[in-house]
Amino acid sequence: MGGNMKELVEYIARSIVTIPDEVSVNEETNSDSIVLKLQVAAEDRGRVIGKQGKVAQAMRTLLRIAAIREGTRVQLEIM
Amino acid sequence: MQESREVRGRTVEEATERALEELGLRRDQVELTVIRKGKTGFFGLGSEEAAVLVRPLKQNSEEPTEAIEPNEEIDTAALAKEVLEDLLRLMNLDATVEVTACLEGEAQDAKSISLDVKGDDLGVLIGRRGETLASLQYIVRLIVARYQRAKVPISIDVEGYKQRRYGMLRELAVRLAQKVKTTGQSTVLEPMPPDERRIVHLALSISPDVTTQSIGEGEVRKVAIVPRKH
Repeated sequence: MGGNMKELVEYIARSIVTIPDEVSVNEETNSDSIVLKLQVAAEDRGRVIGKQGKVAQAMRTLLRIAAIREGTRVQLEIM
Repeated sequence: MQESREVRGRTVEEATERALEELGLRRDQVELTVIRKGKTGFFGLGSEEAAVLVRPLKQNSEEPTEAIEPNEEIDTAALAKEVLEDLLRLMNLDATVEVTACLEGEAQDAKSISLDVKGDDLGVLIGRRGETLASLQYIVRLIVARYQRAKVPISIDVEGYKQRRYGMLRELAVRLAQKVKTTGQSTVLEPMPPDERRIVHLALSISPDVTTQSIGEGEVRKVAIVPRKH
């Protein structure tokens, strides 16, 4: 599963970057967790990370809620 | 447009922080004038309070104008509501969003937008000390700011959580101020996010007996209630 979590990251990232077309999220499913790998244009990296990682942290917080609902664990990596 | 206000503190930094908290603005949204630098003194002897004058700048003036003009026709409240609904749906939460009147005590601005999330079992959306709610609000603000090319103050509440919390904090502040007055001893509240510290500062800003100041950094920043020297 985790379709919605991948979509959640895509939705947020596409909405805050300057080049939405270059946003991609890869999903790796392990036995009890999901790893989402977010890739954006080089110049947009700062936007999805944010000052002191604030944006990335907020995305992880929201992902955690989605993960609880799906009974799994999720990890977000920004490539 | 809000008027300028004078705020005091032990140091210029402290006075500035307090002013920003009371106004609910960031450093880049105000014009700052130092009236008095203040002296720390020695063991509190010969100390003098610092004072600053802050004047809120017009909204959006800090945003560089980009090629695309802000789209005035899009109703920002409707956009914010839609973004929030999208996020909630993607988080698998069954909830609805209502645009509400401004929360009492929130930054007063004609453009400010308040949204309330309604549904069952939404405690998970609030999180410990409202941390999850803060993240949600941060992301919605970011997305709306991106679309509108301007920063818009958006406040998100869940089932009236903030309303209740603000009310509780006001009562607590008044009760603690009374205690500080009778004992003459300062007291420190638990760490709180900026909006909640602001509620405490505001609740006691007219008190003749105590003053308030924020101490500590980041996550552990908290409000101290200090007896006023007579």
